[in-house]
Parts: sequence; structure tokens; C-alpha cells
Amino acid sequence: MRFAALLCLVPAIVCAQDMIARGGEIFAKTCATGYCHAPKGGPGSTAPRLAGRGFAEEYISQTIRRGILGTSMPGFATVLNRGELFAVTAYVASLNGITVRDPAPEGETEKKLPADAERGRKLFFDSVRGFGRCATCHQVDGIGISVATPIAKIPADASALRQLAVSDVKTASADGDSFPALVVSQGKIQTKVYDLTSPPPVLRTFASASVSLKDGSGWRHTNVLGAYNDADLGAILAYLREVVKP
Amino acid sequence: MLAMFASLALAQDGATRADWPYHGGSQLAWRYSSLDQLNRGNVSKLTLAWAFQTGDYEMGLQSTPIVTGGRLYLSTSRSQVYSLDAATGKVFWQYKYPLPRANVPYGPQNRGIAVGGGYVLLATYDDYLIAIDQNTGQEVWKTNLDDIRQCGCTVTGAPLVVKDKVIVGGAGGDSAHRGYLTAVYLKTGRVAWRFYTIPGPGEKGHETWKGESWKFGGGATWLTGSFDPELNMVYWGVGNAAADLDAGPRYSGEGEGANLYTASVIALDADTGKLKWYHQEVPKDVWDFDSAYECVLIDREMRGQMRKLLVHINKGGYAFVLDRVTGEYVNGFPIVDNHTWTTGLTEDGKFVGRVEPVQGKATLICPSALGGKSWNEMAFSPRTGFLYTPSSELCSQETVVPQEAHEGRNFTSGSWPFVAPPNGPAHGHLDAYDPVSGKRQWSYPSKYLLLASILATGGDLIFTGDPEGFFFALDARTGEKLWSFQTGSGHRGSAVTYMINGRQYVATPSGWGSLASSAFPDLFPETDTFRGGSTLMVFALPEGTR
Repeated sequence: MRFAALLCLVPAIVCAQDMIARGGEIFAKTCATGYCHAPKGGPGSTAPRLAGRGFAEEYISQTIRRGILGTSMPGFATVLNRGELFAVTAYVASLNGITVRDPAPEGETEKKLPADAERGRKLFFDSVRGFGRCATCHQVDGIGISVATPIAKIPADASALRQLAVSDVKTASADGDSFPALVVSQGKIQTKVYDLTSPPPVLRTFASASVSLKDGSGWRHTNVLGAYNDADLGAILAYLREVVKP
Repeated sequence: MLAMFASLALAQDGATRADWPYHGGSQLAWRYSSLDQLNRGNVSKLTLAWAFQTGDYEMGLQSTPIVTGGRLYLSTSRSQVYSLDAATGKVFWQYKYPLPRANVPYGPQNRGIAVGGGYVLLATYDDYLIAIDQNTGQEVWKTNLDDIRQCGCTVTGAPLVVKDKVIVGGAGGDSAHRGYLTAVYLKTGRVAWRFYTIPGPGEKGHETWKGESWKFGGGATWLTGSFDPELNMVYWGVGNAAADLDAGPRYSGEGEGANLYTASVIALDADTGKLKWYHQEVPKDVWDFDSAYECVLIDREMRGQMRKLLVHINKGGYAFVLDRVTGEYVNGFPIVDNHTWTTGLTEDGKFVGRVEPVQGKATLICPSALGGKSWNEMAFSPRTGFLYTPSSELCSQETVVPQEAHEGRNFTSGSWPFVAPPNGPAHGHLDAYDPVSGKRQWSYPSKYLLLASILATGGDLIFTGDPEGFFFALDARTGEKLWSFQTGSGHRGSAVTYMINGRQYVATPSGWGSLASSAFPDLFPETDTFRGGSTLMVFALPEGTR
């Protein structure tokens, strides 16, 4: 250890031991948990053992960043910063007898939202509001359920957001029931609509002959915004202005 | 004699007959069929009638088939659904759920569908509830319950049909997530009510949470509950609090109970979703000792009085008997031989002598975080009066490593690699208990943990399968093995029985996989060669045999 520490004083040499130690700490907090990996990548847990597996550096690095789709291994590219990702890669590589080199100095900085927009982001996805949150019907930045068409134009203020025109919401009648409906598809055989009676919307499929659609409805955007006050909506609009590309 | 008849008449019947209409057989979750064509005398002649390969080998076949009107409905881990002729295996339709491009917390798993109102109800692993036309296989409605990319949650349990609604829980209690149960109208797919297992500000029980910890405090409802039609109450088990091993940041020390309603059994009004009562089995849980498992509803005479009871097993390896009218504690007893986290239960059901994991060094905790019983479900036979449950003798080396809550991300605050108990190898057993006294009647030992559900029948047979691939029948009265068949892959699902045209069938999923099975090779090196699978194997007596 003393030898390694001495080496780290020489700037031209990558401080591999320090990096591995840092990666080990991150691994213990982030990866060696519960239903995931065992401490030190050892045996006995539900996620695979990582030590002594003969993994290649590239595989370790890619798996940590991207995860494995369709499995419980998540990608950490947006969870850990660049330095942390490299440290964990170095640590898992060390468990497989590989010494990795720091590829490049840290240059990238994470883009931070202004305070108001950050508050708006949290409100948009606020799970405490249950089905009353914006993300119940809108997808932004890859999160949320895309019931509504992607947000393109951003209303000027909270009032405009509440009064947002809803001309594409129709009134559907089926099974002796009528309800506000956002039409998804209308063919000769099948008609698919989102039933907007109450959040969350329900994607319903009808035989086209059994459902009738009339223009206009009693549905108003303001009715589903009840969980937010004007200041909240202002912050949400600030967030949308930051992330929605015209 | 008169009094006995009176008590029998009062008792609710949780047996199935020709069909297997609900996840637990009936809404009372007995996993018991009164069919007795197949019995101790002729089970040795049981033979394969047909088999169905789903082609979806992911995480094994963990499902309970539903059988009604001559059709068998089966779901797989990646949310695929099949309608089959229950007598021949002929495919009527397949519902192909498009696989989402997403990371799946805890991996894709599905433990069954529900059937009701003319629909097959599928809860997908990316948090949609879908109604499929029972006859045509066409999608009728689809309701999103949560966003898998945000919540760190998934649905693994089978939904439960209750009157005009379908009730579904969710998994995610080891993520920074707040659990709930959701009831949806069968006819329209609209949400009727949602019950959060962690009370919000202003609600009773909220005071048991420190600061903001309630927002991501776990309390998953990842399996299937029960329903008592007379009491109009829905019973559901609630999982551990998050972060699992570290109670410091979440335990307020105020109010009755700790981190309500985690590690509790809850009773809700079936119409409104309002809480009727709760019983917290493990207050201030720091071992991931979920109470999420099935609730078996039985009526039993106790001290001359007919009692409506609920039997429930906690992951900590204890069974609880509760009064299901009031939630009152009636009895509790251990179902594992290795239990080190507590010195036992007091007369009023409180655990004493707790051994808690700490930071900086590993503490041996038995049973393990996989549970003294895994989620695979027990059975109750009204003929023997016994409860039949699998148990796992396995321990964990638990270490607390505090984490901060980040919504949807892993939030266990520690590790729990699995190890053998101090006095021998990890193993399993299947036991018969008197459910009220807790007296063990017989025990069937198993080299490996038993991870398939139990089926009890009116022929006094007990069916289950083991990790080696054997599907077998035991004598319900003695535990003697009467028959076994090698199905080709290990068992992690739930067998059912039904009758078509006067012939009794026993159907079992065969297909090794799941979180628990992925821990096997490190515990039992030879199991590294155990193959995955996903086949429904259906058995019957040869035609004309009695």
C-alpha cells in the first residue's frame, strides 16, 4: 500500500490503487446491495459473481454504463458521473485481474437546470401526486407516459396552460356510456381511444361499429391540473422551456 | 352433532371443484381442490396427458394457470398469455405483449393472470394492467399503473378479481418507491381506488415515518391477496420498509407501530379501498422481512366458538394466525429451524431478542433475506385440517451500508449474501402444520430449497415440484412420497387441478429460473448445470382408470 501511495505522487503515473479504492467504495454503496451483487463481487447473491470471471475491460465498462436491457442490470451512465464510472470500472476490472488506464482527463460537466426549472422538473414527475402528475399523460426527456402528443409549443403562462385548447378530445359513446376520448386510431374494424374520464387515461379498443365519436367534449386540461398551483405551473413551464426543443 | 353441523354450515368454503378460477384456487387462497378421482390409492398410475412449451424461458415459469369453462389460461415471465384447451393443450389464442425496451427492476417475472368479467387480466412487468377478451385474445383495455423508468417498480403478482373490480399490487419495495394497491373497474379499465401502503401527510400512521422518508419507504404489494365475500374485506400482505437494512433514516419512534403499513397484513373495504385494520408483523423491520405473502382465510372452532381466521407467513420464518374480522393476533409459530434474528414471539405476538445487522461488519441472520419461506404459496386442506408450507433453511451475512434515496433506484442500504446455516448445509422442507396450534404434523425433507407452491386435493394428496425437476405427490396425512415424475427442469411455479368431461387433470409449470434460483450455484455448485425451461406439464390417470 505504501508503495502504491508513493507511486501516486508521480503525476505521470495513473494512481490506479486510489482509483480502485474509490471504485470499491462506490461499488459497496451502489452495486453490492440487496438483490444485486455480493460484497467485493463475490459469491452468494442473486446477481452474478463478478470476481474472477475473465471479463474484458470493454465489456465491464459498457455493461456498467448501459446495463443489460430486459434484465435487472441497470445502466449507470446517467446515475454516476464520469469519474465514478471509471472508478467502478477500474474496481471490477481489478477483480478480474485487469489494470485499466484512465482514458482521458475529466472534461465534461453535467448540465444543470436553473433552480426554477429544476423545481418544475420535480413537479412534472412528482410521484407523491400519483396520477395527478403531468407525467401520467406526457413524456418528456424519455420519462412519462406518452398519451398526449409530444409537447411542442409551450404556453406562455399558467393561465394559458390551464386554458390549453383541447379540440382533439372527442366524445365517445359505447356500451351505454359516454366519455371524453382521445382518438389513437380509427379503422374499419377497430377503434382505439384513450378514455379520459379520470386519470390515468385508459387505452380502450372497440369494434368500430360499436362506438360513435362526436367532436367536442366537456374535458378541460384545467381539470387534471388540480394538484398544482400557479407557481407550480410556472416552474413546470420553466422546465419545459429548458428541455423541449422547438 | 348438531353443533358440528352448525359450525360446518357457517364455515366458508375455499375449495375449488371442476375449475381453478382464482390464483389461490378460490378467493380464500386455500390452493385446495375437492376433486378426489385422483387419490392415494391410484396416484401411482398418474401419467403425462399433454405438455405445452411457452418458448419464454426468461426467469423460469413462475405462474399459476387459471382454468375455467374448459380453457386453461397461462402467463409467462415476459408477460405473454396463452389460452389452451384444458383437456388437450390445443392453442386457442396467444396474446403477444410487445416487450418494452427498458431495464426491468428485479428482472421480468410474472406469477399469474386473473380471469373475470369475460376478460383475462394481465399485469405486465412494465406496470400496465391489461384486459384481454377471454374468447378472442384481443386487447380490450390497457391502463398504466406507473412508469417503470421512474419508479423502480414492476408488477410480478397475479391480479385478484373482486366483484366488479380487479385489484393489483406491485413490486419495488427494495427501490426508493412508495407501494400501493390499485383497484380498477373490470368493465372500463378506469381506476376505482388506490391505497398507498405508506400513509401521506395528514393520514393516520404518517407520524411513524421520519421526515420525507415516507415518499420512498417501500411497502410493496408484490403478490396476490384474498377476499372474504361475507365481510367484504380484501386482505393483502405488504412488504418491507425501504431502505431495507437501515431503519435510522425512516423510523420516527412516534405513533403506534413503526413505518406503517410495511411488514404488515392489511384489510381493506373491497368497495372503497379504505383501511379496516392492520397487523404489523415485524415493527421496524431491518432484515427485508416482507409480509407480502398470501393470506389463507380459514374458519376454525376455538374454545367452542367459530372464528374467522387468516393465516399468513412472514419472510422472517414465522406463521401468524389473525382474527380476520378485527385483525386481532391469535397465534404465531416458527416454520424454520434456523431463526437467529429474534429469540421468539411473546404471547401477544411481539418479537423479542432482536439481532440487527450493523455497519462495518457482517452479522449472520437466519432465515435469509430470501425468506424462511419464499413467495411460493402454501395450501390448506379442510379434510386434514392441516396447512402445508415449504420452508427454506438458509441464512444471510448482512451488513448495513447506508444509501441515500434516489427515486426508483436500488434502496436496500446494505448487502445480504446467502450462506448455509451454522450447523449444516442449506436445505428445504415441506411441512404439515395444525394452523392454529402450530404443531408440526410431518416433515418432508429436501436437499434443496423448495421453491414451488403447494397443491392440496380432496384425494388427500399434496403436489409440488423441486429444483431438480421432479414433480411429486405426498400423502396429505403422513408426508409419504407416493409418486414422482422428472419434468426436465426445476419447479418455481404453482400446480393446479381441474376436471374436464369427468377426468381429473393436474397441471404444473416446469421451468427453473427467478431471483432465488440465481443464488443456487454459489450455495449448491452442482446446480450450475440446472437448465432453465418454461413448460406446462399436465397429468391424468390413463383413460378408463379408476
